[in-house]
Amino acid sequence: MSNKNQNGNRIIPYKMFLKALLTTRELIERILPKQGVPSLRIGTKKIESVIASYIEKAEEGLPVIGYHFSFPVEYLKCFDCVPVCLEATSYFMATLLEGGTENYYDLMNSWGHPFHTCTSQKGAMGMTLEDLFKFDAIITPTAPCDCTIASYPFFKYKKNFPLVMVDLPFLHEEKSYLYYADQLKSGLLNLGKIIGQDLNYKKLKEAIDIENQVNKIKFEIFDLIKAVPSPIENLYNPVSAGAYIFIGGMPENLSFHKEMLEITKLRYKNKEHHGGEEKVRSIWPYMITWFSIDLMEWLDRNLGLSVLFDIFNYNFSEPINTNSDLDTIFLGMSKKGMDFSMIKQSTEFFEPFIEYCISFAKEFSADCFIYTQSIACKQFGSVPQLLKEALMDEVGIPMLLIEFDAGDARMTSLKTFKEKISIFVQTLI
Amino acid sequence: MSLKNDFFLNISTSIINPYIEDWQKSNRKVVGYYCTYIPEELLHAAELLPFRIRATGTKDTDLADIYMVRFTCSFVRATLDLALRGGYDFLDGFLVCNSCDHSRRMFELFNLKVFNRENFNKKVPQFYIALPHVITDEGFEWYKKEVEELKEELEKAYQIKEITNEKLLKSIHIYNENRKLLRSIHELRLQEKPKLTGSEFLKINIANSSIPKEIANQELNRIIIALKSRKSIDVSNKKRILLVGSIVDNLDFTQLIENSGAFIASDFLCFGTRYFYDDVQLVNRDDPLENITKRVYYRISCPRMMDDHLRRLDFLKEEINRAKVDGVLLQRINNCDLHGCDNMLFTHELKELDVPVLNIDREFYQSDTTRLQTRIEAFIEMI
Repeated sequence: MSNKNQNGNRIIPYKMFLKALLTTRELIERILPKQGVPSLRIGTKKIESVIASYIEKAEEGLPVIGYHFSFPVEYLKCFDCVPVCLEATSYFMATLLEGGTENYYDLMNSWGHPFHTCTSQKGAMGMTLEDLFKFDAIITPTAPCDCTIASYPFFKYKKNFPLVMVDLPFLHEEKSYLYYADQLKSGLLNLGKIIGQDLNYKKLKEAIDIENQVNKIKFEIFDLIKAVPSPIENLYNPVSAGAYIFIGGMPENLSFHKEMLEITKLRYKNKEHHGGEEKVRSIWPYMITWFSIDLMEWLDRNLGLSVLFDIFNYNFSEPINTNSDLDTIFLGMSKKGMDFSMIKQSTEFFEPFIEYCISFAKEFSADCFIYTQSIACKQFGSVPQLLKEALMDEVGIPMLLIEFDAGDARMTSLKTFKEKISIFVQTLI
Repeated sequence: MSLKNDFFLNISTSIINPYIEDWQKSNRKVVGYYCTYIPEELLHAAELLPFRIRATGTKDTDLADIYMVRFTCSFVRATLDLALRGGYDFLDGFLVCNSCDHSRRMFELFNLKVFNRENFNKKVPQFYIALPHVITDEGFEWYKKEVEELKEELEKAYQIKEITNEKLLKSIHIYNENRKLLRSIHELRLQEKPKLTGSEFLKINIANSSIPKEIANQELNRIIIALKSRKSIDVSNKKRILLVGSIVDNLDFTQLIENSGAFIASDFLCFGTRYFYDDVQLVNRDDPLENITKRVYYRISCPRMMDDHLRRLDFLKEEINRAKVDGVLLQRINNCDLHGCDNMLFTHELKELDVPVLNIDREFYQSDTTRLQTRIEAFIEMI
């Protein structure tokens, strides 16, 4: 077997993912009207080109770095490497492959991985057990949850991949940011040693600058989402989350958001709603159904229900000042890392989360919240009732709770989701 | 000597006990905590009684189920349920650390729903310490600062002029003595002809966590004398088991194991070896708090420490040899990801060493006794 093939075989799931993306985009091009679901059309095209380039780079022999979704991907741009997000691989393949990622979940369950652990990790673990992934190293924060802390050692102890653990404090104070900044710096240096590369600070700054700009654009988009009707389609939520994970810190992510901003502005000006008529405005303070993101489109078109945003989209952090000294840059990176989606909510107490939700409900004129409680997310398992009470007391809006597995339709099916939300919506209209 | 109706051991079957009542009658405070990853000696030096939260005897979780979804740990839910029913109204303080996702959230739920419920007028100070998830020098420095801040918070909350080094040294001495006594009792169970069962040992550990350590040490000394003079237990027809995993504060579970043809010769539990295995080393007498913190941080870990699996495996290997066990029983309370994944790795690693292993999941309360008994009996027969 040639070196190219051998190298490429380190990321077989990405090859599968690329095929799924190509097929999806072909369907989009052929079936959807030219202006239909722009986020999906533009997003898949951008992601597809980057994944293709990653496969080429892997074939050339660049190190393959596995990383946890909550480790901001632009920080890995300081290396010449192929970054692979473990959680996103599981979930985007769950949504794009015909059979989902269930085979890999079952493989890991059979190996002894408890049924209640996170499928976003279980899928990638199953692929790794089958030797479809061969990482040169993996990097993860020690947050946001027990599943992360419990599952990642598998890669180290079973598969012998070097695992860099970046300790993230479960406390938001100034000393936490300083501590995490040190952890990030030593974690990246350690990762560099493992793959035999020095940190390229120029590239790091460039990637951070791109994300600073993306952040600014997303702010503008979110300001427009406050309008009634919401000028952005529901599918923007999963696609923009995917865009960040797969093309974050790259010009493709910036151009995706720029194009989305222009479309959003136009729709805002014309008071257009993607689904035709907006009947209900919802906020999903937690996750969407990753096993089937087409639920988003169905809600838009069939129920007139806007999903204004979910947990992967509403976290904004201060821009990182890349013109300052390295310590200041790492402090900025630390603050961003600790304010990252799910990390922030998991490592803080509940009060800020509930307060944010209340203020979001008011600012975005939400009619309801839909709280999806995933089986894996124990750190969120004690908040639904408190949030429900707070939303009713402070804003007078209801919250629907649906228990599910974000990446496995076998627990709560798409049909069940549709039925539950339809009945809920009937009570609101 | 029979320990069947021993007053000290019976403390393990209830939450409140006469020692706590006596303690509070003299206007002294009780502080509840969830996990052994807290500096107990510091509370003791502050003349507070540390009480490990448990849910012994609780059968339902219907009140707590309102606030915690069904994917959460039934042990933690049971403790909240008990608290919502007033079972922890006697607490004068509440200390939580980020041991796991389930118990950490009790900080908020106790604050909002237990200590702020109608007709409960006592002000209960709450404390939180953040513990790193890896064992490193930087992590230790972080945790040390957290413990130093906790010391200041305790002094302020309970109007203590100063928790002095002398007091801390005295507490270290008492706690080291306590752990030494527990290790002595543990040795009596490791023997080929043991002096006590695993269930009795669990009772001793639970009782020990529920009363002032000065009294506990006296009681443990008494128990040791009683055990030594007692006739050894015949376990020749039983299989010697190492019990590993999630918290066990329920005697029903250990009795179920021991009634299935097993003898729990040793354990790797937090109401067991994880609690007493390591002592505070007085490396620096000028900074006893640092020594206390070192013990908590560097001690034999539970799986909430992400980078320490191999040390835990080594501990199991040592204990398998020391206790001459025939098999290892790995167990987790459902929804405990930490023990679930650690047990997953142990299962494969121990099988490679030809050690018979059974890996089971259970609820905190004994809702599925028959299923568990069948699996355990089958395992015992197999080995």
